[in-house]
Amino acid sequence: MALPQNKIVRWIDHRLPVFTFLDHELYQYPTPKNLNYWWNFGSLAGIVLVIMIVTGIFLAMQYTPHVDYAFASVERIMRDVNYGWLMRYIHMNGASFFFILVYIHIFRGLYYGSYKAPRELLWMLGIVILLLMMATAFMGYVLPWGQMSFWGATVITNLFSAFPGVGNDIVTWLWGGFAVSNPTLNRFFSLHYLLPFLLVGVVGLHLVALHQHGSNNPLGIDRKGPQDSIPFHPYYTIKDMFGLGVFLIVFALFVFYWPNLLADPANYIPANPLQTPPEIVPEWYFLPFYAILRSIPNKLFGVCAMFGSLLVLFVVPWLDTSKVRSAYFRPVFKWVFWLLVIDCFALGWVGAHRPEGWFVIIGRIATFYYYLHFLVLLPVIGWFEQPLPLPPSISSPVLKRGGRRLALARHKP
Amino acid sequence: MTRRRIMPALAGAALLALGAGAAWAQDSSEPPLPKMEWSFNGPFGTFDRAALQRGFQVYNEVCSACHSMNLLSYRDLEGPSALGYSADEVAAIAATKQVTDGPNDQGAMFQRGGRPADHFVAPFANAEAARAANGGALPPDLSVIIKARAGGADYVHAILTGFRDPPQDMKMAAGMNYNMYFPGHQIAMPPPLTDNRVTFADGTPATIDQEARDVATFLAWASEPTMEERKRTGAKVMIFLLVMTGVLYGAKRRVWSSLHDKDEKDS
Amino acid sequence: MAESAQSQTGDAHAEGGTRRDFLVIAANALMGVGAACAAWPLIKSMNPARDVLAAGAPVDIDISSLQPGQQILVLWRSRPVFIVNRNPDELAKLQTSQDTSLLRDPNSDEMQQPPYAKNWHRSLKPEFLVLVGICTHLGCIPEFTPQPGGGLGANWPGGYFCPCHGSRYDLSGRVFSGVPAPYNLPVPPHRFVNDTTIRIGENPPDSAWDFGSIVQI
Repeated sequence: MALPQNKIVRWIDHRLPVFTFLDHELYQYPTPKNLNYWWNFGSLAGIVLVIMIVTGIFLAMQYTPHVDYAFASVERIMRDVNYGWLMRYIHMNGASFFFILVYIHIFRGLYYGSYKAPRELLWMLGIVILLLMMATAFMGYVLPWGQMSFWGATVITNLFSAFPGVGNDIVTWLWGGFAVSNPTLNRFFSLHYLLPFLLVGVVGLHLVALHQHGSNNPLGIDRKGPQDSIPFHPYYTIKDMFGLGVFLIVFALFVFYWPNLLADPANYIPANPLQTPPEIVPEWYFLPFYAILRSIPNKLFGVCAMFGSLLVLFVVPWLDTSKVRSAYFRPVFKWVFWLLVIDCFALGWVGAHRPEGWFVIIGRIATFYYYLHFLVLLPVIGWFEQPLPLPPSISSPVLKRGGRRLALARHKP
Repeated sequence: MTRRRIMPALAGAALLALGAGAAWAQDSSEPPLPKMEWSFNGPFGTFDRAALQRGFQVYNEVCSACHSMNLLSYRDLEGPSALGYSADEVAAIAATKQVTDGPNDQGAMFQRGGRPADHFVAPFANAEAARAANGGALPPDLSVIIKARAGGADYVHAILTGFRDPPQDMKMAAGMNYNMYFPGHQIAMPPPLTDNRVTFADGTPATIDQEARDVATFLAWASEPTMEERKRTGAKVMIFLLVMTGVLYGAKRRVWSSLHDKDEKDS
Repeated sequence: MAESAQSQTGDAHAEGGTRRDFLVIAANALMGVGAACAAWPLIKSMNPARDVLAAGAPVDIDISSLQPGQQILVLWRSRPVFIVNRNPDELAKLQTSQDTSLLRDPNSDEMQQPPYAKNWHRSLKPEFLVLVGICTHLGCIPEFTPQPGGGLGANWPGGYFCPCHGSRYDLSGRVFSGVPAPYNLPVPPHRFVNDTTIRIGENPPDSAWDFGSIVQI
């Protein structure tokens, strides 16, 4: 698609080349022609980020970040503000769906080796995005000032007291008081408004890093020439829009028919600093990390294990020693990958329950296995595994062995 | 190919169950809540206006003696999408209440008749007064009670109809009442409903079960007055999205058809 | 690299042409409609919420202790409202032509008041004047200066003086010529519930005038 002849477009582009930029990075941008639907989740996550920021800004017009008014202001949004209920439910469920999309996106990267050279920084920026999302979501959940808001904030901020020596000072500094209180709520509101814009910046870097070498693909082999690529527009623009339609259907089902399915009823009870609820449970997307935290009976080591489970993701590009990217051609790693998925679900399930009986044992096994996967299995499997033979290129004729699979992988409808 | 699809599908299902399970984790010693048929359940559910008005009457005459509903105003009751009261009826309901207003020009607070814009008058000035009048227990505000309890309207109905004599071997703490469905079985609230505790204007027999159903319906409305609008909007949005996604799928197939044709020629 | 891909799509474009275009156009149209429908509730959410509208409901003011020559200030829809009890001298002066020739809009031709206030006293009962106390220039609250003469000059008949930019109004709220303010002070809908109570925000039963139709608040 050549640059439009339009005079105004040319005038602007000569001075600020936005149109040339868009044409190059969005329309012409060469993309592997064999991407499957697991590659939709990045753009979906970006769109949900925009939805969250837009609904968040309009909600912030009506919300009051004061302990005496926060809960009532949210209910006012639900009852009195025109379409307030819609904005609130979109924002609330959007957070959950943002995490669903990003978790799938991450597991896609793990399966297809998208973190391998030369995409290590792309991967690490993605983990930074995950961390920013978690911080934003944690602070956002405090804002309605329900029982879970308050007590979740209390438990998680208290974690920082585990650090020897300076721990208590850090916690007091975080709180701005002697406990989670009005200063805490106010600053969480300020930071919750700020962090998403930092997130947009990191997403920008993430996309720059992506465009440097282009997308990975299901075969995990590099593009060899123009026969392996197609322009992003119209092929992947229309495919992404279709994927968005499917996503919106699922999202709308939750927003309009099951808006509180992923929520905890206890957060509809106004915060009471003098009464701890029977179960303090974080939102579902934090459950695996919560399980890891509670699996270690030592406060400091529990905190380290929890943060470590995220930090270990940063070094995955170096932990995995395999020369082959995609799990298509890694028969042993493929099964180990699915074991990791099961392990993460197990951790989440453990995190939802009180740390008693079988849950403790399973939680500890699952935590151990999580670290085993990254620190032991990834390097070892890479060394000893016999990968399947790689096809010469993305467009090359179908190989006899694994032929049908390859044919499907070459161009997914 | 199917094997690759099953795992993610299972994962998705497990995700839903996990979310639901986390929210609904309940102590297993209480019997399961009886499943009720509510008119507002389901994707096309609506509130039964007659039940709402009866339920409001139960709240007004029975529950409001101890339970506040601070997030509701009398004007919320007006209109066909609410309880179906007219503006005059709502003004009359509000006028029966005494509201504290002020300060006046002398700096003093004073009582006046209620207006539609006023919030529901609370039975106690503050939580401390409520506790003092109820043996240390705080009757919870009922504005969002249906959303604040696992089981929702089923739970509230079960509690109201679940008062029994305690079993022989149960040691009740002082001032507590035995309830089948309340976690721990000991609830500070005495049974609030009896047969014919209120007289319904439409002649419906006021059994405990009827009163409990109607007040649970009213409380479900109060917890989320926009529920019907939400479901109506949802139907329109779903139809639009299904059509749009269908067209997008067709467009996608069209755009990609040239590529697939070329690949078939090559292979 | 991109060219070969483009020529492929070019060929296909010619082949399947109209059907692909229709689907793509339809898809774009639906997405545009969807985006507009999604933006609409967000814009609407900024309109006054139901509780704000309810707080704008009519207010009843007790005027039993309002003496002739006095003014009280009350709030209606977050705006200052003057209620004045004009004495017979002031009423007489308002009717003389000497006063009206200096006014920009002596007959209240601009829609700044309900039909039942389009008269020389700009109210229901001549004694009681109800005005929205917001200067039609840039929104300050004019000062009540009913005494003739004084600091405003010997010819000052009594009325309102706005300290911000010097606009002047007479004791019916009508704006003088040669001042920055362009319009008379607005008169809100009001009625007498009984002899000692004025309800601001509600018309008398025989009128259905909308305050939103005034030229300038």
